[in-house]
Amino acid sequence: MNIKEALEIKDSFMAGEYDVAVVGAGHAGCEAAHACAKLGLKTVLFTLYLDSIANLPCNPSIGGTAKGQLVREIDALGGIMGKIADECAIQMRMLNRSKGPAVYSPRAQMDRHRYSDVMKCYLEKVENLDIRQAHITDLLTEDGSVTGVMTESRAVYGAKAVVICSGTYMESRTIRGGVICESGPDGLPRSVGLSASLEAAGIPILRFKTGTPVRVNSSKLDFDQMTRQDGEYDIPPFSYDNEMHGKTVPEDQVPCWSVWTTPDTREVITENMDRSPLYSGVITGIGPRYCPSIEDKFMRFKDKDRHQIFVEPMGRQTNEMYLQGFSTSLPEDVQVKMVRSLPGLSEAVIQRSAYAIEYDLVDPLSLTPALESKVVNGLFTAGQINGSSGYEEAAGQGIIAGINAGLKVLGREPVILDRSQAYIGVLVDDLVTKGTSEPYRMMTSRAEYRLFLRQDNADTRLTPVGHDIGLIDDERFSLFEEKMRMIDEETERLKSTYIGPSDTLKEILESVGSVLPPSGISLADLLKRPKVTYELIEGVDKDRKPLPLYVTRAAETDIKYEGYLKLEKEKIEKFSELESKRLPEDTDYEKIEGLRLEARQKLNRLRPINVGQASRISGVSPADISVLLVYLEMRKREEK
Amino acid sequence: MPGTFCACSTPMGQSGIAVIRISGDMSGTGLDDCFKIIRTAGSAKVISQMEGYTAALADFIDPSDGSVIDRVVVTRFTAPHSYTGEDMTEISCHGGNAVKQEIFRVLFEKGIRPAEPGEFTKTAFVNGKLALSEAEAVMNVIKSESSGALKVSNSQVFGKLNSELSEVEETLYKAMSLIEMIVEFPEHDDTPVNTDRVREMISSAIDVLIPLKESYAQGRLLADRLRVALAGKPNSGKSTLLNRLTGFDRAIVTDIPGTTRDTLDQDIDIEGIPVRITDTAGIRETDDAIEAMGVERARSSIREADLCLFLVSPEDPEDEVISQLSLIRSGEADIPVVLVFTKSDVGINPSYEKIAASAKALGIEKSMIISALSDEGIDLIRKEILSFYDSLGSTSSTVVISGRHAGLIGLAADKLMEAGSALDDGLGEDIASSVIRSALDDIGAITGKTVSSELVNTIFSDFCIGK
Repeated sequence: MNIKEALEIKDSFMAGEYDVAVVGAGHAGCEAAHACAKLGLKTVLFTLYLDSIANLPCNPSIGGTAKGQLVREIDALGGIMGKIADECAIQMRMLNRSKGPAVYSPRAQMDRHRYSDVMKCYLEKVENLDIRQAHITDLLTEDGSVTGVMTESRAVYGAKAVVICSGTYMESRTIRGGVICESGPDGLPRSVGLSASLEAAGIPILRFKTGTPVRVNSSKLDFDQMTRQDGEYDIPPFSYDNEMHGKTVPEDQVPCWSVWTTPDTREVITENMDRSPLYSGVITGIGPRYCPSIEDKFMRFKDKDRHQIFVEPMGRQTNEMYLQGFSTSLPEDVQVKMVRSLPGLSEAVIQRSAYAIEYDLVDPLSLTPALESKVVNGLFTAGQINGSSGYEEAAGQGIIAGINAGLKVLGREPVILDRSQAYIGVLVDDLVTKGTSEPYRMMTSRAEYRLFLRQDNADTRLTPVGHDIGLIDDERFSLFEEKMRMIDEETERLKSTYIGPSDTLKEILESVGSVLPPSGISLADLLKRPKVTYELIEGVDKDRKPLPLYVTRAAETDIKYEGYLKLEKEKIEKFSELESKRLPEDTDYEKIEGLRLEARQKLNRLRPINVGQASRISGVSPADISVLLVYLEMRKREEK
Repeated sequence: MPGTFCACSTPMGQSGIAVIRISGDMSGTGLDDCFKIIRTAGSAKVISQMEGYTAALADFIDPSDGSVIDRVVVTRFTAPHSYTGEDMTEISCHGGNAVKQEIFRVLFEKGIRPAEPGEFTKTAFVNGKLALSEAEAVMNVIKSESSGALKVSNSQVFGKLNSELSEVEETLYKAMSLIEMIVEFPEHDDTPVNTDRVREMISSAIDVLIPLKESYAQGRLLADRLRVALAGKPNSGKSTLLNRLTGFDRAIVTDIPGTTRDTLDQDIDIEGIPVRITDTAGIRETDDAIEAMGVERARSSIREADLCLFLVSPEDPEDEVISQLSLIRSGEADIPVVLVFTKSDVGINPSYEKIAASAKALGIEKSMIISALSDEGIDLIRKEILSFYDSLGSTSSTVVISGRHAGLIGLAADKLMEAGSALDDGLGEDIASSVIRSALDDIGAITGKTVSSELVNTIFSDFCIGK
């Protein structure tokens, strides 16, 4: 449908003209809209329900392994998730502390209601941004390009670019046992019609399934039977801006708790398996492997007789607690029995029951690495609509889709982060190059260059990019440059400062099982020894000046892992060479002689932007890549 | 694919002189401490100071202990004036296997990697050193050679290596997944850290890789040893067959018996398998002194060969053929012999059946009919040689026969040892895992199982390496 046809429908009217229209105000939509508005574009953000902006309908936490890295990357680019999360955190921890800096992952428990509220209030004050509660039912196009959207109430909005971030709302239905509701998550209204409108425009639609666990009231819980887990205080906030301004994590943190399932839990589940919609065939959508329902865990891991469940607060004031690891689609009556089989929860009162949810999404293989549709020009998608899972994954795509929608309107080249630059790059590349057959969750092991993609250096990697785009202002950028300068200076000082053998040094080294060097040694060489830390050698480092932790930590990591980082950099160099070889848009792979048949078909269908992306398409062999390289060289010479 | 790579560009096996080529940034200063220049035209003290297109007499040195490996001639080429368009160094060393192997070991330790098959040619094209008109040919070479490589990887020798490496891969994936589980889901107490198991798995992988790497010493011989002798009466079509197999006129072919007076060696590739074909002079009593020497050499070639193809043409008298066969059989009893009836385009002699029957009595079971002129049966010959090659693989334990494979396996083993010590030193699971991943990339470059983005280049077949 085009705008003219839309306006011919009874009661329809022209409601506004925008540069960019963002559909859906979850984590992806908020970042997308914010980025566009910051680029100076007239932007509108549509949400089905204004009070559920940036809702956290599943776990009340942000960050975690790989996800924490994503949040810091979003912040480094000039996004907002990190700042809002810092403000609403009620507990923070650094996961994987003992396993090396590459996998350190910050995670924070959120005051869930507040998060939504703070985000709404923040966005309301952003210049160039209008927020509108509306149900978008139609995408309007003209000659294969987007021209706008139409709401259920026949309001027509013109837009030069559209970003759809529909989450799990498109044609969704929730399932508890045999009970199916036509509903969005959290009992919110669902999106009806938009999916069909996309399909009519030629976009391939898939259907996925995910789920969420039970919430209980804390007043009837016996915490004495649970293991307490407190927050940590010596960790940086998510936002680099906050960190550089000396802000720290909240001081009055709230504890989380954990329990183990009992033999009773197992019995309740086993007895009621015939009522599970997954096993009875009611659910047909594809669910994620990494986040199985509790019944799935018992069925699939038969050798494990118990599973760990986390009991997490949903806010400071509320009594509502979230049972992480207890996702289920069994009927509500069974859920009560299951919850009460847990230690400390025998009298628990459920406030919201668990459910599975099915929803429509777009096949991410139909997207470019800029997250633009290859089918409809000017249409961008981000978040769960692209087959991902998780708030952070959504926000990471949201900022990229928003930036690229904005840059497109401005007539600028798209920004594409590659796999060596950011987890966001890995995420987007995996989705658009390999596709996904289940909701895609970011994991650190998906990143080939994770020694380099750390939570502590996301700003080194991405803040210059954010500054170039125009999302990082000059003030923040000069703070960043100052930080880089301090790190370089301290690294240099550690490398050039030599100390002689002494009793103090001997004592320090012996405390970690290391031996005294016979002659002078640089502080840097000391740091390279196992278990020797920056703090440990303070006693022999007389010239040490007080520096922010983020400076000393960075210098320490750079020195300690120098050799490994160098190897990783070499690998990245190799990788970048193929990434920099762009494949012209008009390439007809059918006509390249040396390619195998399968490769010709796949390449013609997926149309990768460079040889690197082509090499990651399944069915394209190393031989085909060599052929492409020769083909490119041939074209280059022919054009001369 | 950046980085400096090297390969031997002369045929495998023993030869008087072998040429090792090195292309890339490290081919100059990176190798200065490997050469002690004895004499050169200019005043260069180290090879990086040598001008392009100049050569030097030098000792090739192992920098770790200063020992001299070989006296060599080293030639320098500076970018862009070289075959590949990059900085290049060519080492002409003595052709013995031990020397080459030692030089490669030093180069690998320097961080110079084994060339991807065909990498020299591809680099030359991409750097504009080959004409545009050659592009299509280069692409087709890639296509045909990669399918050739595929066939090689299906042969038994590679099949066994592959299956051993697959087991190593499986072990390492398990080790990595143990680490990854605790990294990805750290808050779960039900996946405790089990560094000891990981350590054990790494060790068991190393225990497989090291002997494999070392087997290259033997594997190289196995590959070199594949010699096929062409025997038969003069003018039975040996030279014609040799020319068909090599694709160009190496031997002079006339219809005058005794044209081939000496043995001719020709290294060819049959679907990626390096084969040395020896075209022997026909065996006959002769008064010509020179020809007599040739006949004696023919006998010794047959003695040294692994497989003898005995050619019989329609003109050959039955009794002479049979007596020669028994001569070969009595002298070189162990050598498998295949009867090849040639010139089927000329005609098929009814005595073939009788010859075959007599041959059978001598233990020669196989026979085939070919026409080298019309290509009939040439494929049969190739298949025969391949199946013989496979049988070599089936009788010996797993050996690595490719220098590239040996290099990659060595790299992987080194990295695994590093991963092990990273774990021991408490450097962190992130480092260990990253190093294991890197080792898996090396192994995957052989098995093709991990299609990692850095495995850029085609697996060309081994035979055109360095050319």
